[in-house]
Amino acid sequence: MNIEVKGVSKSFESPDGSRVDVLKNVGFSLEKGAVLKLNGASGSGKSTLLNIISGLLLPDNGSVTINGTEVNSLKESRRDNFRAENVGYIFQTFNLLSPFNVMENVYAPSAFAGILKPGFKEKAISILQDVGLKGHEKSMPFHLSVGQRQRVAVARVLFTEYPLILADEPTASLDRVSSETVLNSLLKCRDNGSTIIFASHDPLFDGLNPDMIFDLEKGGLL
Amino acid sequence: MKSGFILKAVMHNLKHRKGAFLISVFAIACAFTFLSAVGSVTFGLAASAVNSALKFPLIVGPEGSSDTQLVMSTIFAVDKPAGKFKWDILEELKKDKRVVKAFPLCRADSLKGVPMIGVNNDFLNYVNMGYLDVKEGIDTENIFSETDVFRAVFGYKAAEMFGMKAGTVFTGSHGAVGDESARAHDEEAYTVAAILNPINGPEDFLIYVSTKSVWQIHEAETENLPMDVKTNELSAVLVKTVNPVATSQLEGEYSSRDGCTAVDTGKTIRRVVQYMNKAENIAGLFSYGTLLIVLVMVFVTILMSINERKKEMALMRTLGISRRSISLMVMIETMIITIMGVALGVVVGHFVLLYFKPLIDMNLGINLEPFIFTSIEVQGIFLTLIAGQLLALLGMLRIYRMNLIEEVARD
Repeated sequence: MNIEVKGVSKSFESPDGSRVDVLKNVGFSLEKGAVLKLNGASGSGKSTLLNIISGLLLPDNGSVTINGTEVNSLKESRRDNFRAENVGYIFQTFNLLSPFNVMENVYAPSAFAGILKPGFKEKAISILQDVGLKGHEKSMPFHLSVGQRQRVAVARVLFTEYPLILADEPTASLDRVSSETVLNSLLKCRDNGSTIIFASHDPLFDGLNPDMIFDLEKGGLL
Repeated sequence: MKSGFILKAVMHNLKHRKGAFLISVFAIACAFTFLSAVGSVTFGLAASAVNSALKFPLIVGPEGSSDTQLVMSTIFAVDKPAGKFKWDILEELKKDKRVVKAFPLCRADSLKGVPMIGVNNDFLNYVNMGYLDVKEGIDTENIFSETDVFRAVFGYKAAEMFGMKAGTVFTGSHGAVGDESARAHDEEAYTVAAILNPINGPEDFLIYVSTKSVWQIHEAETENLPMDVKTNELSAVLVKTVNPVATSQLEGEYSSRDGCTAVDTGKTIRRVVQYMNKAENIAGLFSYGTLLIVLVMVFVTILMSINERKKEMALMRTLGISRRSISLMVMIETMIITIMGVALGVVVGHFVLLYFKPLIDMNLGINLEPFIFTSIEVQGIFLTLIAGQLLALLGMLRIYRMNLIEEVARD
């Protein structure tokens, strides 16, 4: 999935009413299957940029084009569909939907988007086995540890085979074993041709061998 | 699959917040129970009154009785008669060509609060209610015999209430309304001669005895009895006239006579029904007011639930689940609460009426139909469901106006 981020700027209103520029004229291009690491301190705009790329937020200026589609010019419902089919998102915490069990969480986005294929349950079970959650298919999210929940989020990404994966500090609150599971899953996604953009302070993630590093504080590629 | 997922999320949320959910459903149900009761009782009163008005278009009673008092004490036996008047008036009415039938009526004693009404064989044959149970050897055309004066005919519900069967012997208490201090008439025992078929009217809750027994039982009484009945005196005469013109004429004539008064039953009942309708409207407004408060409460609960789930809804949005799907969940939740509240209220309301039917029937002299849907209730169902839809739409609007992405960014 080719991605072109062009001149993206975003500002927010601060509590005192003044505008705070979070992103200023950010731009880069990624080829299909490339891995980009976002560098920057907390508050430097990493999450904001990921939200803009996914179409959750609209930039004040600039554009995000994914495989020829300018995401920010799509209507909201089209952006929802686009995200459901193309963008896998992994957050630091709170990745699971509490009404659904582990297996349902894996295929919920596809189910809501109406893109489930025959044999989806078997596929979900197999992926859960790969991430070390065999036997937890029917467990509810509140039954799981933080690490297990993060593995479910990764399993969801693996299940949908998203062409683009966005990961925002995915291992920040995990133990070593769970972190490795997440990393291995993302490596698998990369090998399958997914484009990955991630923000992480975890040295373990250097194992993803990013093709590019974008420093949000310096405003350019390193 | 998608709708299954939406429903699952809805059910999970309702289960997760079962306290607020049950309170909301219960509150709607309570308001509806009240609405059902108001509708059914008013309907029962009106139906019973109209039915009786057709049988006896004119009632002649003692001077000093108000129209309503006379109708209520004779048709429903729920009010004390105002006094007594002489037998001669009955004889006079019987001879009048404008009168088809005239029946004497004595309000006398009672059995544990159930009025015993003195009537004659003509009355029983005219109302022609049919008999469920008759004592062996009794001629149903002439139940009240000259030789065996102390016979009683029980209304269906009255017999059921006291477990009476044909042949049972009992004694009444002194006093038309049978208060607790009433003295028992141990000296004379009645025998149940027959039990009437159920007719779904005030008659089901009455005990009929002969006028003669009433006079005879009180002959030995001392002066200044609290009762209206003394020898050969009547509480009222129930009259079947030839037509409404005759009713109107007789009403005018007997109202202006000394010692008695007359009422056009239909006219009085129409007035009573009008009052009942007004009372129903006021009670209805009160019910609707309660429902409105309850629905606002439900809406606040829904808004709280939305606020509590902001983060989860935000996650849904990041997963590509549309605002429409999320709004639909909230809408379905609101609809489930409203529909369950209405359904529970309607069911509980009618069963509450069924449970209290004997008490309501006895006190109001009606035959309540607990499972009848009245217009006020049907109106209430539609209005509540429409209000529920509006609340659901407001909930949806709230979701549309919420910036869920801020929740993701804040994480």
